[in-house]
Amino acid sequence: MKPKHLIALLILAVVLAVFTLLIPSLNKVHRYASRSDQPVSQPRQSVLESHPPSEQEQLSWHDLRDGESAEQPASLQFGETRTYALERTASDETDLSLLGSPSTSSAADGNKTAELHTIYGDSYGGAMGGAANRPQHIGTPQSQPRLQQAYQADRGLERRTLAPDLASVTADEIWVIAKPEAPQAVGPQYQTPGSGAMLAKVEEKEIPLPLKHTDVKGQISGYIATVEVTQQFENPYSEKIEAVYVFPLPQNAAVNEFIMVIGERKIRGIIRERQEAEQIYAEARRQGYVASLLTQERPNIFTQKVANIEPGKAIDVNIKYFNTLAYADGWYEFVFPMVVGPRFNPPGSTDGVGAVGRGKMGISGQKTEVQYLRPDERSGHDIALAVDIDAGVEIEEVSCATHATQKTSDAPQKAHVQISPLDTIPNKDFVLRYKVAGKTVKSALVTHTDERGGFFTLMLYPPDDLKTLQRSPMEMVFVLDCSGSMNGQPIARAKDAVKRALRKLGPDDTFQVIRFSQSASQFGSQPVPATPENVRKAIAYVDDLKGSGGTMMIEGIKAALEFPHDERRFRLVSFLTDGYIGNEVEILEAIHDRLGDSRIFSFGVGSSVNRYLLDRMAKLGKGAVAYIGPNDSNSEIVDLFYDRISHPALTNVTIDWGSLKVEDVYPSRIPDLFVGRPVTVTGRFAGRQNTTVRVQGKVGSYDKELAIPVRLADEASTHPGIACVWARRKIEELAARKTYDDSPSLPGEIQRVALEYSLMSEYTAFIAVDSTHQTAGDHGVTIAVPVPVPDGVRYETTVQN
Amino acid sequence: MKRSALTALVVACLIVTLLAPRTGKGSRPGKPGVRFAPVHIYLDSGNAPLAAYQFELVCSVPVRASQEGNPPKADHYEPAVKIVGVEGGQHPAFNNAPYYDPAALANNRIIIAAFSTGADLPKGRTRIATIHLQIPSDTEPEYELKLAVAADADGREFPAELTLETGEDQ
Repeated sequence: MKPKHLIALLILAVVLAVFTLLIPSLNKVHRYASRSDQPVSQPRQSVLESHPPSEQEQLSWHDLRDGESAEQPASLQFGETRTYALERTASDETDLSLLGSPSTSSAADGNKTAELHTIYGDSYGGAMGGAANRPQHIGTPQSQPRLQQAYQADRGLERRTLAPDLASVTADEIWVIAKPEAPQAVGPQYQTPGSGAMLAKVEEKEIPLPLKHTDVKGQISGYIATVEVTQQFENPYSEKIEAVYVFPLPQNAAVNEFIMVIGERKIRGIIRERQEAEQIYAEARRQGYVASLLTQERPNIFTQKVANIEPGKAIDVNIKYFNTLAYADGWYEFVFPMVVGPRFNPPGSTDGVGAVGRGKMGISGQKTEVQYLRPDERSGHDIALAVDIDAGVEIEEVSCATHATQKTSDAPQKAHVQISPLDTIPNKDFVLRYKVAGKTVKSALVTHTDERGGFFTLMLYPPDDLKTLQRSPMEMVFVLDCSGSMNGQPIARAKDAVKRALRKLGPDDTFQVIRFSQSASQFGSQPVPATPENVRKAIAYVDDLKGSGGTMMIEGIKAALEFPHDERRFRLVSFLTDGYIGNEVEILEAIHDRLGDSRIFSFGVGSSVNRYLLDRMAKLGKGAVAYIGPNDSNSEIVDLFYDRISHPALTNVTIDWGSLKVEDVYPSRIPDLFVGRPVTVTGRFAGRQNTTVRVQGKVGSYDKELAIPVRLADEASTHPGIACVWARRKIEELAARKTYDDSPSLPGEIQRVALEYSLMSEYTAFIAVDSTHQTAGDHGVTIAVPVPVPDGVRYETTVQN
Repeated sequence: MKRSALTALVVACLIVTLLAPRTGKGSRPGKPGVRFAPVHIYLDSGNAPLAAYQFELVCSVPVRASQEGNPPKADHYEPAVKIVGVEGGQHPAFNNAPYYDPAALANNRIIIAAFSTGADLPKGRTRIATIHLQIPSDTEPEYELKLAVAADADGREFPAELTLETGEDQ
């Protein structure tokens, strides 16, 4: 062989080697695009993205309803569904390996492939701009292989079936042809359900969804609740499924137990670093093991995944948490949220919580998504809830305005409350309030001691005599959420509250009314005196407000906190909102940066308010929050609010712990104490002697002191959940710091505390795998559990379709 | 360039081509090479009724030095085994999932305890727990089991034997 031949051979060999080394990695990307086990880092792609038509290839869409052919699918109206066959016709020159064909040799004859797609008409509104009414989403119905075969046979395509990659496409993928203008988030690692089989089955209401029932059992001892939540999953389909359920828990829930129940077998989940738990789950799911994973998306939003539920099989997941009850205006309040409200996410955000219609997973571009049932739909999921109260002292009254309940009591200090079997739709918060008799509420320490040391909580009540003192003049700023989610009953209630509050302002006060949705506007250029004329005009202004558009809360924050403050007045900013936003961190950061001398006293309005956001705003804003539910008395709540702010607070609060050696106290700075609003303090302690804790503060220029006796041997003042409550509070404080502190050590610190105390957090997750049994076949279809929109919220103005 | 050198280069490139990994065919993305398996823990209490127990389990895998052509070092282990679930035992008294100490939990080490206040307590040999593990698929873990305590309903400790079995069918 001559040298030039050798050189040519060398070049050929080098090219061959380079291709051989590169192609596998290209292949990976190609495969991830269509395989269910795509990694987190790979965004979902459409068939047309992963298999784009070449210049030599022609696409032809055939409407299976009327047989009409077109170059592209017809524009569908919102809610309309149509099934098309997409034919790809390649010329003889087309390399069909691009389509994943096993070889190109058979392309000489019948260079056609056919794929079936279901197309959903979409109505994205202004946010999607030109995308409105264009076909957005294409599913490949797994339930239609026979239809596909029949179509291929009818069209003379039987010589070439689907390319291997396309054949492996499962029903639960959503193909996006026309991309939304907003950037797409990295898709969740699981497949998205909804297209094809699941939609068809549900629309025909033949088979209910995999979450059958939620059972909630609460035990309240003093002001600490221990709650067990059992989610009962069952596979009603003929194939194996993975169930995914996004659900709420109280924002201060210390979730510390997770048990997967398979028949009589109970497997305790292990707390692990989140990414590690997700990897274990993905691997167990891939290998066919029954597994469950609990992750936290927000302090009050969690995702439950259960993999490899075989047809007809049931799997329960039991979650246990502790939380301290809120105490406000004489009432203890136990809240169990039942549904995540539909959140608005500002354009450009990808880390929010998307609200999409059933079967539309992936269209919001957000990392977490909740699917919602249409108003005329109902899943089979219902809820049972029972609470046992042991107040320790006589219970004067028990009240529940949110649900029909049945109440019994076998002792003056005890009560049993359960929701009526006629009120089991999980579409609103359950709010139970109870009041203890007389003036028996006093600041008291509750403790727990184990091998880790001592832990305590102290509910610090403001001194009674604050009520005898009057406040200084106020500069009152009302900030009213007029977004689409507030449309209807919520905004009507918010407007009533503002009008009532306006009428209660004194002649020395000034006020401003700000509204926000996509943008913010206000009643006057600056706060105006609360004269009868100005109040009348403001009431007319409020009457004209309507709810529509997005929730750009940041605009409301800026408008409320960025104008000059009148130093002679005590400035109160009152937000009236449902808090349905996905960018909580941005909002809290903005408040931290702009608060100045202002105090934030907000109203959460609606049946399923984002209490995490409202509570955090109140804490950051050194104020308080009250909630106005659909059945609450506006006048009562607003009057209590005014009672609270009509008296000075106990400020500069410090605590002398007596002979107790106390450390790690949260909140690290004790906030001001307002009338009717106690503060819960938690910490660690060493010491065994009884002592007296002294709380000092100032009311105006006067010193004030409270004495709290501590009896460590008193068993009535102990609770096993105190250690978890303390750890959860520490995590909350570290997470709050993270919104304005870039310290790289904070995530690690949160994770360390969460792992040590077996607690859910942003950085930890519970994983449970049943390794004794490997189910047959692939991991099956992922089914997201759609939920109803909260009571009083309009689907049309809040849910993306 | 000499002919022999060119020939060598061509051969080298062809060898690279032939030996290149075939990841495009049949390989799955994701973490390769792990399997899931249970370990069943048995406690033999003899004639004493078992009301409470605590034990520690450590699962270790020898360093896979053999892959590098070296023999595994007997005293060097990596925590490649991960505990992924703790299941209750066979007797109704210990059917609930036992508690583990989260502060003591490491990937491959766990301390487990349970007690029963019921009247019906197991005697003799009974499965008290099943530990679910994720294990590197090419290795067989070594287990170290330590019984901290076994006690009756009056809190009296008694000697007991703790053993384990592997395998899915129990």
